[in-house]
Amino acid sequence: MLLEMKHITKEYGTLRANDDVDLSLREGEILAVVGENGAGKSTLMKILYGLEKPTEGDIYINGELQKFRSPHDAMAKKIGMVQQHFMLLQPCTVAENIVYGHEPKKSGIFFDRKRAAAITKELCEKYGLSIDPSLIVSNCPVGLQQRVEILKVLYQDASIIIFDEPSAVLTPQEVGELLKTIKKLASMGKSIIIITHKLSEVMEVADRVMVMRQGKRIKEMAKSETSIEELSFLMVGRHIVERKIPPQETTGTVLDVQDLVLSGSDKKNILDHFSIHVDAGEIVGIAGVSGNGQSELIECITGLTQITSGDILICGKTIVGKTVGERRTAGCACIPEDRYLWGCAKQATLTETSIMAHQREPAISRYGILNTKGIQKFTSGLLERYDVRSGGLSQKTGELSGGNLQKMIVAREIELNSNLLIAAEPTRGVDIGAMEFIHSRLLDKRAKGDAVLLISSELTEIMTLSDRIYVIYDGKVAGEFRKQDATEESLGILMMGGESNEPKAV
Amino acid sequence: MNWEYIASIVNSTLRMTTPILLAALGSAICSKVGVFNIALEAQMLIATFFSIVVNYFTRNVYLSVLAGIFSGALIGYIVAVLQVKYRAADMVIGTSMNLLVSGATSFLLYLIFGLRGKLVDSSLVSLPKINLPLIRDIPFLGRMLENLTIIDYLAYVIAILMFIYLYKTVSGFRTLSVGINKEASESLGTKALRIQMSVVTLSGALCGLGGVVLSMGQVTMFTENMTSGRGFIAMAAASLGVSHPLLTIVSSLFFGLCQSIGSALQNVIKSQLTMTLPYIATILALMLSGWRSLKSKNGRSI
Repeated sequence: MLLEMKHITKEYGTLRANDDVDLSLREGEILAVVGENGAGKSTLMKILYGLEKPTEGDIYINGELQKFRSPHDAMAKKIGMVQQHFMLLQPCTVAENIVYGHEPKKSGIFFDRKRAAAITKELCEKYGLSIDPSLIVSNCPVGLQQRVEILKVLYQDASIIIFDEPSAVLTPQEVGELLKTIKKLASMGKSIIIITHKLSEVMEVADRVMVMRQGKRIKEMAKSETSIEELSFLMVGRHIVERKIPPQETTGTVLDVQDLVLSGSDKKNILDHFSIHVDAGEIVGIAGVSGNGQSELIECITGLTQITSGDILICGKTIVGKTVGERRTAGCACIPEDRYLWGCAKQATLTETSIMAHQREPAISRYGILNTKGIQKFTSGLLERYDVRSGGLSQKTGELSGGNLQKMIVAREIELNSNLLIAAEPTRGVDIGAMEFIHSRLLDKRAKGDAVLLISSELTEIMTLSDRIYVIYDGKVAGEFRKQDATEESLGILMMGGESNEPKAV
Repeated sequence: MNWEYIASIVNSTLRMTTPILLAALGSAICSKVGVFNIALEAQMLIATFFSIVVNYFTRNVYLSVLAGIFSGALIGYIVAVLQVKYRAADMVIGTSMNLLVSGATSFLLYLIFGLRGKLVDSSLVSLPKINLPLIRDIPFLGRMLENLTIIDYLAYVIAILMFIYLYKTVSGFRTLSVGINKEASESLGTKALRIQMSVVTLSGALCGLGGVVLSMGQVTMFTENMTSGRGFIAMAAASLGVSHPLLTIVSSLFFGLCQSIGSALQNVIKSQLTMTLPYIATILALMLSGWRSLKSKNGRSI
């Protein structure tokens, strides 16, 4: 056995993040560790990588007892980790990032950047990953940045590679590439641990699967002996029932985007004569590969970007030229794409985060003076009803796990009781339990007769929830479907810029 | 306007530039490692004082210069400990350091010498002036480079060396990486804290050298608050030069020119007004660079 972790227990105060967990890894094997957010997967990996010390338990490599005090010790034993949040020098080149720590030198002190590029090329060829060493990292899409992280680990000659939620930030295409890479690395003798909660990925790459729940190892099995259904049951601890969405009549248009044009810096239109509408009582999905104008569409509607021409109406009144605040009052709530960048202030407490946009409600403030008791009541109510697991009202927002923070933001925006809710990537990077929960809340919103505009790069999410679907490609509406007419194939072709063979549906 | 006049303006620009450039390099290298050091004024002022104190007691140029550099570095080190190691707020530390040194030097001046305002003594030795053979006989060029000190030349050498260090060496690359992403650099074994602290101390030494030029270059004396805001002008120069050593040379020369014109016009316009010229230039220059970066940022987001 290459790697063994025995009886690992980690306690943070009274919380048992890991409870007597065993893990083993053979050479050239891909082990998937699955579980919901907070199941203890990341803690276990932090212990293996020397970022945390276990309260109890030992780590053995090739039968030898190890004591890791820092990632440095782990790296010395050829353990490498591809972090979920990249540790990259954004303004530097790919090559500079890869050789960092062991830079090639000229005459003892000078940084030999040519050799660094050559080393990167060699590395790329050896592992069949292609990337231009001279690219500036900040100009690379997320998928390529992750590739830089992988190459960094390979340059350090790691033989055990940990991937921490590697697909959380990737587009579906990039995920495909990543899974191929992981398989290839394993076939070249690298041993791989992948932490994830996306079960389709597990079924595609893993040799063995270990399920964790509430800090414990629940079960471990060969992939061939299990199924997505069994794994999701083990992860969540209950069966996930397939959702039945009752059909519902719509009443009147809430959001009406008319011939919207947003021009970019190079004369090309980012949104090009874009027209959609969302009615009361329906969820309308925008399907598309990210980067085709979705973010800009949200910014145009919410008022973060000024449009070039066209009109946007909410409940029949134009909101063009109105401020963000006025648009919110007019009935536009938004679950933003990036919860850390737009959704919250990381340093703010949970109470502060929860009242953002609610601050003028009578229960929250009067005559500009905040009502502390009212706020606390409001926030505790949100946390309870939306099942946000936190360390108390005064916890910093940034300390919440991704899924819990997302639930918090969903709670805040839904509680605005607006006519329109924009939900952008509402379940990106959250686990099955949280995803189910958020989906239910969106459907409740629909049942109340409000309009929901759902923008997501997860096609399954769009297809499950939406009553109507628009496909966006290159800033234009490439197609419109009713739920019953949409298939993954027909949407997929339009998303990639292909022409639909069928006459336009609807 | 004649050639002689232009040459004398160039000459005074070069002299005015040196302290600003040295301090601006100190400011630039701090921003490169992600530390916002606004104690430049303190780092310079303490050096003007201690170089003259040592000068008074030893009459030795070298010891005086060293005293200036060390006292500047000491203030830099204190800033490093408080601001980098113990993460005190940069504004608080910087401002209090500037005020503290300003008060302390006046106090010490009174305590040691029983003087108020300034210390002038005919026995103080100044930095040796260099008049390059051959060049001094060329009419225009000779006048331009007349009576400069070794530090006036050294400042440019330091800027170039700093450029080579940061952009060409491995160690410089690691230093830059700390400012770019401290967490990432630490995750790969770079001792970020140590680098930041050394850099802030170094900036103190550079400012110290700049202070020495002020008190022992054109004049040889100490007056209270004789840096008169040069530390802040240096911050502006560094910021205008996007903290790049070579661009900082250009921006420092610009501020040197403003000061030189300001003092040249003193006989024409009221001096109170001409003295504001460098500061008006600072505000305009910062507005310009802010406007430019805002524009490029907007371009990217769309």
